Amino acid sequence: MTPTKTTSLKRPPPQLAGGWELGLLAFLVLLYLGGAIVNPIFFGSTEALHALLRDTSRVGIIAVGMTFVIVNKDLDLSVGSTYGLVAVVFARLFASSFLDLGIVATLLLCLALGGTIGLVNGLLVTVLRVPAFIATLTMLFIGRGFVLALTHGQAIYYSGKAREYPLFFHLGEPNLFGFNNQIAVFAIVAVIGAYVLAKTRWGYETLATGGNEQAAVYAGIPTNWVRVRAYLISSLSATLAALLAAAQDKGATPLYGVSWELTIIASVVIGGASILGGRGRVIGSCLGAALVVLVDKVLREGWPITRSVVIEGETIEVSARYTLPAGAVLVFLGLLLVLAVLIEPYLMRRQLAARLWAWLRGRPPPPALEMGGVALEGVQTKGAMAADMEFSATGLGKFLARRDALAIMLAAVLWLAGLALRPDYWWTLSNTFAILLNYTELALITIGLTYVIAAGDIDLSVGAVLALAGSTAAYFLKVLGADPMTAVAMGLVAGMLAGLVNAVVTVGFKLPSFIATLGMFYIARGLAAWLVAGRQLTGWSEGYNLIGRKVNDVFTYLGLSLPPGIVRTVAEVISVQTIWMFLVAVIAAIVLAYTPFGMKVYATGGNLRAAAYAGINTNRVRFLALLLAALCATMAGIINIAYFRSFNPVAGQFRELDAIASVIIGGGSIFGGHGSMIGSLAGAAVITLIRALLQLNVQGFSMPQHWINVFIGVILILAVLIDIWVRQANILGELRARIAKRASAPGGTHG
Amino acid sequence: MADAASIEPIVEMRGIEKAFGAVQALRDVDLVLYPGEILGLVGDNSAGKSTLMKILTGAYQRDAGEILVAGRPVHFRSPHESRAAGIEMIYQDFALCGNMDVGQNIFLGRWPLRGPFVDRRRMYQEADRVLKRLKVDVNSVYQKVESLSGGRQQSVAIARAISFEPPVVILDEPTANLSAMATERLLETMLELKRQGVAQIIISHRLVDIFAVGDRVMVLKRGEYVGDRYVRNTDEHEVLEIIVSGTRETALTADEASPRRP
Repeated sequence: MTPTKTTSLKRPPPQLAGGWELGLLAFLVLLYLGGAIVNPIFFGSTEALHALLRDTSRVGIIAVGMTFVIVNKDLDLSVGSTYGLVAVVFARLFASSFLDLGIVATLLLCLALGGTIGLVNGLLVTVLRVPAFIATLTMLFIGRGFVLALTHGQAIYYSGKAREYPLFFHLGEPNLFGFNNQIAVFAIVAVIGAYVLAKTRWGYETLATGGNEQAAVYAGIPTNWVRVRAYLISSLSATLAALLAAAQDKGATPLYGVSWELTIIASVVIGGASILGGRGRVIGSCLGAALVVLVDKVLREGWPITRSVVIEGETIEVSARYTLPAGAVLVFLGLLLVLAVLIEPYLMRRQLAARLWAWLRGRPPPPALEMGGVALEGVQTKGAMAADMEFSATGLGKFLARRDALAIMLAAVLWLAGLALRPDYWWTLSNTFAILLNYTELALITIGLTYVIAAGDIDLSVGAVLALAGSTAAYFLKVLGADPMTAVAMGLVAGMLAGLVNAVVTVGFKLPSFIATLGMFYIARGLAAWLVAGRQLTGWSEGYNLIGRKVNDVFTYLGLSLPPGIVRTVAEVISVQTIWMFLVAVIAAIVLAYTPFGMKVYATGGNLRAAAYAGINTNRVRFLALLLAALCATMAGIINIAYFRSFNPVAGQFRELDAIASVIIGGGSIFGGHGSMIGSLAGAAVITLIRALLQLNVQGFSMPQHWINVFIGVILILAVLIDIWVRQANILGELRARIAKRASAPGGTHG
Repeated sequence: MADAASIEPIVEMRGIEKAFGAVQALRDVDLVLYPGEILGLVGDNSAGKSTLMKILTGAYQRDAGEILVAGRPVHFRSPHESRAAGIEMIYQDFALCGNMDVGQNIFLGRWPLRGPFVDRRRMYQEADRVLKRLKVDVNSVYQKVESLSGGRQQSVAIARAISFEPPVVILDEPTANLSAMATERLLETMLELKRQGVAQIIISHRLVDIFAVGDRVMVLKRGEYVGDRYVRNTDEHEVLEIIVSGTRETALTADEASPRRP
């Protein structure tokens, strides 16, 4: 029984960089040479290479930090916001027109801000157990809200004062050797990051935590600290990048860092890190950053063409530049993200490169890596502590124990609050009508999302899909002059295609739904802007707009008139889309609560493995749920442009935030398995009422829109925390039990 | 089971081989299970117990050997097929949906229908009947599974398995996560099942449990069969000795080792 093979101590495999990095480097060189051939003016000079490296520096620095987060099997979507916020805060603190602080104080405060953001992210994700994507997505929106609020949408510049502090601002300038100091900073950060991740205990702990957190805990690794640490690193590297930007530009605009999270996550993932955790190298991430920045530059720069222009009968060749329209860059970067995420599990784990190489040399392929050899993941026990409150209570207690009780009560309280604040206006028909309309769009999206969340997935792209469907329909109506039916059909096709991609990437390629739909979040919004070239489209046949009109208007359009009376009053308040929404909601509610499909959704979200073992085709369930979410968002988009009689590229912005918050407030669980239609509709009512209340003009004061988004972000986080800690961990019950124990323990000392 | 030989075995595995890459996980393993018998499957870690059971249920595919269920040769390609043939496996982590109630879990994936809707009344009645048949004390079929203790969750998992009325139930480490009292109750449930003629295989590290209810114990070691014994003819000491120092060459079957062997 002697083993046939023993381990041998050959040279250890490389840790800092490997074949993937070499391949990336080669690809990068080829791409650059390609760019130089297509556009020699722009790419042919050393200046261009210098500019590329300089712009890569900031992205790369953040990518170094993000590598730690992603290797931990976490995600930090807030880096773009952090970058923007720190730059703006720097400007506010430093600029002489604002606080006019000294450079040292400004720098310290900025670092403190970055550290705080990282710490909040880390604590939310570890101690408070909020899923990483939802916590950091909310931080993204909150950060953006702050940026808008602090800048009022204006750029802030301080180039005059900057001259007094050459030491700091020199960081953003070229140095004696002729290259920009940012490149040097990036090189230092990259080398330190690479060594820490590949050669130190900190790095090994990170890899272990990402590979199998349970095992890491058993081995005595403080995984919570490891994860918080990574968020701190990521946030602080975003801060450093922002400071470099401040040093370079001597000013800040509110657009700083918009959708940078996309660029950076794409960079890290292209660099060979696994979105499923446990793999990644800093050098790869840096090369990935260079690649993404280069692609971005190529796309934005466009390529030169010669266009023939006819002037007074004479054809003249004019050199022009073909640039992609607005939104296109976002589409390509989103696609890049989705494709890049597939690289690691499908290309690297299956050793496709090594196999191809062996095949080319006529050698036998390398042995397949054993997969699934170790326990892949620990058993999920969630909500196991929840007491059987729901079961034992009666009457009011029974209502309170329902998961959707909070949403129903909140909706009622908020409506009454509105009544108290503006008794003259709140209950009027016009206000009710306005609220109902806002409600309709959100509720429609929420219906589909309830299925997705109950099935244990998430769809971050609903707002973007809404915009895509609206944009497509508007494009067909306005630009192609199609009839309303065609426009509706095309809108549906576009939205459902987006849903199909979501479903295929999530279910077919077995990727986490948040990453697939995050890609679609950018792709669909980019496509929407691309179709309408970033403009607002308006003016088409009124027949289409009937979808978004009041019932009475439809009758009037058709040449009918209702007799005055209750029917007519109702017809004047209720619009077609509200009726449609309720119809969809009723069907969706019945299917979810009473049919086997609904049961399958809950079973899939509750315990995927158990459901699969019970013979449920969980892939089909998840696929259909994601399609349904896209369908609902699509319908909302088609209705949106009918109601506004125009398409605005910002349609549906922040709707994903509203919709997720609605479902969670309404009793859904971010971990899946819970959520009811009544609850979600009540949750949507809560969000709609909050928005309406915040916009309410009370004694001449109303809250600006960006603060409202911050507020909604906070509410989303609170809802998730309440779900995790009150509904599932039953923290209130524990407290009560502890208090009861303490009261009885001293043996009646209190009499 | 002195007269076991006269009854036809419900499961028979012969010469099972399985390799994962260079590792030979199972080498020429035989297993026989008779109706109403409780067979304990023991052995060190990586002895191949779980692999053998996964091959039986079709979760893994065997490299060689044959499996007969009720005398018919079978080749299951997935656990669904083995379930259809009447072999139920209860996993260590129960495989239940905590967010759903007891009734819904017992009928997971095959909820009774009335028209397009789930027939809730029939579902809960049937679930109640199954639980009563098992004599387990779960307060109510309306209770969410996540609010049950580990032992009761185990009972629901077993109730779910036997609601298919299978002739064979496989329990993977059933007592690993249970308290002493819950273990006691589980063992009673197993005896109740035995009375109803269900054959059971328990994979367990805890010899005590196997000796409490088992009829026969079979030992695997490094993927090889190293002997089996009737529980009534042996003691924990002997079984431990086989686990530690048994070899394929010195293996004795239960009948060979039996003192009353003809």
